[in-house]
Amino acid sequence: MTGSFAQVFFLAFFGAAAVWFGIVVFRTHSMVRSAIALLFSQTAVGVMFLLMQAEFLGVLQIMMMATEMSVMAIFMVMFMMDPGGMGAMEMTHQKRLSLWAGGIGLVGALAVIWLAEWGPVALSVPAAADQTADLGRELLGRSMFIFQSAGLTILTAMVAATMVAIAPDEERRQ
Amino acid sequence: MTIAIVLFSLAAGAYFIAVLESWLIHGRFSLTRPAISALALLGRESVLARTPDRLFFETAPVLLLVVGLLAAAVIPLAPGLIITDLATGALFLNAALAYVLVALIMAGWGPNGAFAMIGGWRFLGQFIAYAMLIVMPITAVAMRAESLSTVDIVQSQAALWNIAYQPIGFALFVVAAMGLAWLPPLDLPTGGGDLAGGFEAEYTGARLAVLRLARLFIILVMAGSTVTFYLGGWLGPWLPPVVWSAIKILAVAALMLIGGRMLPRVREARYLAVSWKLGISLALTNIFLVGVIALVVPI
Repeated sequence: MTGSFAQVFFLAFFGAAAVWFGIVVFRTHSMVRSAIALLFSQTAVGVMFLLMQAEFLGVLQIMMMATEMSVMAIFMVMFMMDPGGMGAMEMTHQKRLSLWAGGIGLVGALAVIWLAEWGPVALSVPAAADQTADLGRELLGRSMFIFQSAGLTILTAMVAATMVAIAPDEERRQ
Repeated sequence: MTIAIVLFSLAAGAYFIAVLESWLIHGRFSLTRPAISALALLGRESVLARTPDRLFFETAPVLLLVVGLLAAAVIPLAPGLIITDLATGALFLNAALAYVLVALIMAGWGPNGAFAMIGGWRFLGQFIAYAMLIVMPITAVAMRAESLSTVDIVQSQAALWNIAYQPIGFALFVVAAMGLAWLPPLDLPTGGGDLAGGFEAEYTGARLAVLRLARLFIILVMAGSTVTFYLGGWLGPWLPPVVWSAIKILAVAALMLIGGRMLPRVREARYLAVSWKLGISLALTNIFLVGVIALVVPI
């Protein structure tokens, strides 16, 4: 093991924080609080990346989530009747199905963690700049098709969402 | 030691900006006014709005302050005088600045007031538009330096500063930086004319003092990043590097403060339209041009 005690301690701390903020997402009545809790859960995951010395991924995660979750918050406020949770709105629905889905997902994730062949433990971590270069080669090499098609799909969805959100001309003229 | 020096420079720089801003607002130069105002704010009652989102209300000013300090950690003042020279420094700066948005949304939502809420959401609308105008010019800067480290970015400008190498990027970055620090004429989230203080409206006393201090740090960080990315950081003849950094950062901050006040406040819709339609196209053009120049003429 190359990690120090402090590294393991903070990894556990931020892991617990990520899970706790994830729980808060459903425990609060306020949509805005829910979105911000999700943001901090994702930020905690970003900090975990940093602790595991994956600098580029960590910083990227922390940066992207701030904007994404804020955009989600504004859409929630726009479309929900009770964004502030004044009417004690329930954040969960289809409880039985969600519990089953969550439980199966957890068992599946644990099974993958324990049963997968992870290979030998890396003894040294490449320098941060090398990691970024490796990641770039991976994304623009082997996985380029997947990422490009995902990007195009997201762009299409964004254009479609904007089209749906804009009122037709006749309606706007009234 | 480095941390102490950077913190002291931040505090001194923030005081300079506060003096300059109060001079611009009140029309009279006074070295003591910011200190007196700060003491007055600390002594004043901290009013709590009715049925606030207390958690957001209390967290927002502190979060903004932390963001300012974190962003300052990757700005080099001289060779070796940087809190942490991350390999992804430019990206880290961006990540820290993204939380200005989160803090302002929380500050806007927290006090349960109409003006505050509009101010917070307005900043979100703006931010989505000009976050691109911060990221894309930084991309072009990093392309030239072939590194995201802020120290490498400064060193890459030894032969020619980026302001001459990529002037489009510089112009976009300065406008976006002013928007991010909600400086006039882009002070829409607090807009005195229509929002009566915006998200600052419901803050009083010590909480307002923290919020204002955090804003001074953000202005300073934006000036510092402009200097790092476009004006050659600490590079300069005769004087020691730290002095050059200080001169440049304070000059950029002063120009942002004074220049902005000469212009009328921009209308929100117009600002968004210009950011999306003109700004992003120009930013992409800038990346393309820098790419071509970097490939054809190595400077």
